Amino acid sequence: MTDGPLIVQSDKTLLLEVDHPKAGDARRAIAPFAELERAPEHIHTYRLTPLGLWNARAAGHDAEQVVDTLLEFSRYPVPHALLVDVAETMGRYGRLQLVNDPAHGLVLHALDRAVLAEVMRSKRTAGLLGARIDEADVLVHPSERGHLKQVLVKLGWPAEDLAGYVDGEKHPIELAQDGWHLRPYQEQAIDGFFHGGSGVVVLPCGAGKTLVGAGAMARSSTTTLILVTNTVSARQWRDELIRRTSLTPEEIGEYSGSRKEIRPVTIATYQVLTVKRKGEYPHLELLDARDWGLIVYDEVHLLPAPVFRMTADLQARRRLGLTATLVREDGREDEVFSLIGPKRFDAPWKDIESQGYIAPAVCTEVRLTLPDHDRMTYAMADPDERYRLAATAAGKHKVVDRIVKQHPGEPTLVIGQYLDQLHELAEHLDAPLITGETTERERERLYAAFREGTVPTLVVSKVANFSIDLPEASVAVQVSGSFGSRQEEAQRLGRIMRPKGDGRTAHFYAIVARDTVDQDFAAHRQRFLAEQGYAYTIVDAEDLGGAA
Amino acid sequence: MAISDYLTALDDEHLVALLRRRPDLASPSPVTLASLAARATSRSSLERALASVDAAVLQAVEAVVALAPDGPPSRERVVAAITGPSAGDGGTGSSPAPTLALPAAPGDGGAAPLGAATDASFVGRAVDEAIGLALVWPDDEGLHAAPGLAEILGPYPAGLAPAPTETRLTAPAGTAPTGASPAATAPAGTTPSGAIASLAAGPAPVVVPGDLPADERAVLDALTWGPPVGLVPAAGNAALPVVGRLLDAGLLVRGGARQVVLPRAVALALRDGRTHRAAARPPAPDWPVRRPDVVAAESASAAERLVRLVVRLVTAWGEEPPSALRAGGLGVRDLRALAHALDIEEAEAAFVVELASTAGLVADDGEERPSFAPTEDADAWLRRDLPARWAHLAAGWLTSERTPWLVGTRDERGSAHGALEPDLHRRWVPRVRAAVLDVLATAPAGAAPPLDDVLAVLRWRTPRNVPPSGAVTALLREAELLGVTGAGALSPAGRASPIDPSAAADALAASLPTPVDEVLLQGDLTGIVPGRPGDRLAALLDRTAVVESRGGALTVRFTPESVRAALDAGATADELLAELTAVARSGVPQPLRYLVRDTARRHGVLRAGVALAYLRADDAALLAGLPDDPRLAGLGLRLLAPTVLVAAVPPVELVTALRGRGLAPVMEGPDGLVVHAPAVRRRTRPRPQREEQPPDDEARLTALVARLRRAEAEASRDGAHEGGPSTVGGSGAGAASGRWGAGQEGLGRATGRGPGRSTGASRPVAARTGHAADAARGSEAPAGSPGPSSAARPAPDAPSGTADPAAALLLLREAAAERSLVWVDVVGGRGVLERRLLRPVSVDGGRLRAIDPAREAELVVAVHRIAGAERAS
Repeated sequence: MTDGPLIVQSDKTLLLEVDHPKAGDARRAIAPFAELERAPEHIHTYRLTPLGLWNARAAGHDAEQVVDTLLEFSRYPVPHALLVDVAETMGRYGRLQLVNDPAHGLVLHALDRAVLAEVMRSKRTAGLLGARIDEADVLVHPSERGHLKQVLVKLGWPAEDLAGYVDGEKHPIELAQDGWHLRPYQEQAIDGFFHGGSGVVVLPCGAGKTLVGAGAMARSSTTTLILVTNTVSARQWRDELIRRTSLTPEEIGEYSGSRKEIRPVTIATYQVLTVKRKGEYPHLELLDARDWGLIVYDEVHLLPAPVFRMTADLQARRRLGLTATLVREDGREDEVFSLIGPKRFDAPWKDIESQGYIAPAVCTEVRLTLPDHDRMTYAMADPDERYRLAATAAGKHKVVDRIVKQHPGEPTLVIGQYLDQLHELAEHLDAPLITGETTERERERLYAAFREGTVPTLVVSKVANFSIDLPEASVAVQVSGSFGSRQEEAQRLGRIMRPKGDGRTAHFYAIVARDTVDQDFAAHRQRFLAEQGYAYTIVDAEDLGGAA
Repeated sequence: MAISDYLTALDDEHLVALLRRRPDLASPSPVTLASLAARATSRSSLERALASVDAAVLQAVEAVVALAPDGPPSRERVVAAITGPSAGDGGTGSSPAPTLALPAAPGDGGAAPLGAATDASFVGRAVDEAIGLALVWPDDEGLHAAPGLAEILGPYPAGLAPAPTETRLTAPAGTAPTGASPAATAPAGTTPSGAIASLAAGPAPVVVPGDLPADERAVLDALTWGPPVGLVPAAGNAALPVVGRLLDAGLLVRGGARQVVLPRAVALALRDGRTHRAAARPPAPDWPVRRPDVVAAESASAAERLVRLVVRLVTAWGEEPPSALRAGGLGVRDLRALAHALDIEEAEAAFVVELASTAGLVADDGEERPSFAPTEDADAWLRRDLPARWAHLAAGWLTSERTPWLVGTRDERGSAHGALEPDLHRRWVPRVRAAVLDVLATAPAGAAPPLDDVLAVLRWRTPRNVPPSGAVTALLREAELLGVTGAGALSPAGRASPIDPSAAADALAASLPTPVDEVLLQGDLTGIVPGRPGDRLAALLDRTAVVESRGGALTVRFTPESVRAALDAGATADELLAELTAVARSGVPQPLRYLVRDTARRHGVLRAGVALAYLRADDAALLAGLPDDPRLAGLGLRLLAPTVLVAAVPPVELVTALRGRGLAPVMEGPDGLVVHAPAVRRRTRPRPQREEQPPDDEARLTALVARLRRAEAEASRDGAHEGGPSTVGGSGAGAASGRWGAGQEGLGRATGRGPGRSTGASRPVAARTGHAADAARGSEAPAGSPGPSSAARPAPDAPSGTADPAAALLLLREAAAERSLVWVDVVGGRGVLERRLLRPVSVDGGRLRAIDPAREAELVVAVHRIAGAERAS
């Protein structure tokens, strides 16, 4: 029995004691193959999953290394069955390869013929595979490359995609590093992505994912299609690209509901791609409009299902996924793995925070005890109505007041789900409101005023969940959310995590009505951040800011 | 010399050794040596001895039997016959050495010289062993098999055909042997080639041509190593002429209409004089070896897990014992429920159940409706520490004759075996288990033999008695589940178990990691014990949190439900936090403190209790005095709120007592309205089947009238069907007895007088009987109807019947006991009320089983379809 920092559980979780002297070594050693599940203050939990082990194989690690690492750092004897399972699982990756045969084109090549036989017998591969060339090779219809990879992952025999990519149309892009430089982890992320071909880079909100995208574009120097969640985000990408690269406004096109420009670098929204008319996607032609050399998926955890299907047809092009969290509320992580690619880079939020690249944040849950009258209304309400009732409790207005007063002079965002509540709050706080109905022009004007500091407080609906760049915002107050969405909570925290000029700490408040479903949902929403090491402090609304 | 002489001549030492090796010879004690010899050669004793010998000894015995037709073989001859001629330095006892080996002799062509030499000494020892067991006995002529052995070994010992019974005659040259009887020995002259292999495998030399065509060779090869019998190919088959040529050459003989036999002498020649292709050797173990700490850790965690499962089983069944099936055993559904509750596979649940039963922790309680419940021993077991509990389970397992792995499989009748079923006993299980464990125990420490290798060893050890591979697989799995093995290798505790349970407990205790008494509580409401929690810590976490993962460490999560459960069990928030603080290395994080406090704040806000009546008043002062009033002391009055009292007596008693005290209470109904009941008067039911109804219930009376009208309408319709109102003005008494029951003659007669006058006539009678309900019926029912119709078919809802379900059931049960007839109103399939005269047989499980005398049929009616019942007089 060694005195290692790691405890290997038979259910394939790894417990890492963070205060152990060798914890850092152990974390670096297991990071390539184990997925961080929870990172609270004392013991971090990692999990060995097939996807994680295959990610490691894709990155060039073998089973022996994994087993050695576990044995080296484990405090107790490692369960034998687990080691066997690790070896078996990792051995499954790459027995099949997708290669480009000079004579036949795209071919599924088997290093293990029995596997090929098994896969060919499966009903799921029907129609994806073409004629058999010889014992070990089968033709693959180029259009089915993505589907086949999806199916092979589901069958447990993930293929190594060695078929390479089309070069795409060349287009010079350079990073304009004048007065700023890529951060080391951004460089690593770009290297990791480019070395691997395609894949996902996981970085916290505010850690500069756009720059990783720009860096990848510069490395690729090809025409690029960027898929983003909404128009505001599209504009911010464009501004950032103009500022950080050699690209000029004329080279960048926007393909959205309002504009349909196709230029060497085109930024399109998921929404426009997934518009469906008469059973067809009229804007799909965008994908073939140019010979794209790189496709960037912003916020890959939000990728809508139709985009998955389209992505399946884009397997010959390099794909970069960017996200703050691979947690998908719909559990389609395996599709991200097979269609976008394996995870190529990941850094715990707290690590980046400790390096000073994102602002340190303090999370507080404010528990509001409802007055008896409201409690009675809540108790009598229809179950469907309860969350709305609890989340929009009138008492929250006063709490927001007090919080805002506690942070005088700090740019504050008040974020909520329900428009009625937001209207009331905006009135109450005498602050402008941005919702889905606000015009683009008005939004941009308000964001600009907020950045300049002329508008100290903004009330925003969920339109602001993603990709709005408000670097100076340092206080966020969440009054209601979409039920128990973990990634929404993370995104909202991300709004205030850009490092501040004066090194201020960011404050994130979630106001929760005590003893209601609001509290239950809040607990669920907080799990991701708690797992990332953000401990919520709980405060009773009555105890908040004695000054107020 | 005979075997009895041999045994008689044995010295005491050898005789004792024999008796030790074959214990069945010594018990019961034989009277004479002759009877000992008789017993030693009995079929059952020989079978038993053969079942225990390993493959090498069996070969030696087979060789002695197989060589016997050529005269008793010498020890050297036997050794040579098994190891091959190259090792046969001593194998030439009575026969000439082989002159030439067949170049294409099948088999492995003999072992390498060195191997063959060691083989020779090895086989020699096997022969000695056979002699020691008296399976083979020596005399001056050579070795003899014990009488009876040949029969046991079958017609083809070592795959050789029996020797011909006739003397060994050489057939005349050129004559083809046609029959099966004489040995077919082909003279050398018939073979065209000069390459000749001849071997004196007996007095008759056999010559097999060395350059047989490949097809003939193939046929011989197929039969050489036995069994020596082949089927004659069908006509038209290409092999037929080949066999024909071999028959002509005398290399095969006919063995019946459709069979050919390879003669013993030919086979021996082809085999190079050997009886066995190769000497049997014990399998050389080349097994993976596990590190001792891995074995100890895995077996300890398995042992801990299994004990935990059994504890949970005992707890679960203590709360809700599953019922035993009539045939004994546990129902499939109960097993599935258990597997679900323990979060394990059903197969494993079956093992756990059987293990708990074998260890005497659960048993059939022997009640009238038997169920499986924890025994009293279980309580003692639960009090012991983990190693002792485990050792108890392991000891039970070692001697268990149960076969849990058969649960879920089907027997020959096609029904699935259930856990704890009596049928799952197999006497051989302990023996096979011991054999399997012995394979592990005799392997090098830490060796984890794969299943196939275990089977190979078992095949070598007792080739005449190889355990079924399914059982071996299952037993190995059980051993792993139990922690007798860890990572496939025998654990220290497993090694000690068969010898001494307390040593096993000690060994397990040594394997268990040192208990940890600290937990790391974290802000995400999880807690982690970085090792095996000590008993107190384990109990605390068990009470307050749910387990997320087990292994080297224990991870738990605190949830509102888990904390509430702890509070339910009697802890307070402060106690809970104090207990957690005491064990938390880094303190109790704020979110957990909030969770506990918030849960405690809500806990117990709603309170439930028992009371039989309440008393409320707006005058708090009035109520406040009552609980202390000595005259009301017997009522169990308790103040719940300033304006609410509860009592431990029913409302009637409460009201009476309060009135006696001079107060003026009124009773209120469920709707809070005052019920104006006159002074409470006790009533007893005149007859159990009667409806007891408050006389003044207006709504009920209205409904009753409506029902009566419906019934009358139906009766009149029936009457019309039967040809009109035959009883009007007629046999009044008869009608009365049928219609109204024995106690109501007066009323019956009144109605019997016919429609027009019935109302007036019945009223006084009803009044006389004093029965309000009857009066109502009497006054209303016939009024709007053409009149009663038939004595044999009284209308539904006649007063002596009942529509009250409980009373109806009681009536039916009584009728079933008395075997009497009852009118039963049954709601038919289409919702129509049907009245039938039935003789109830039983009322059980929501069904009435009854005989319909009119139709001479038995019928079963769901109780909920019975609208009413009435005694038929």
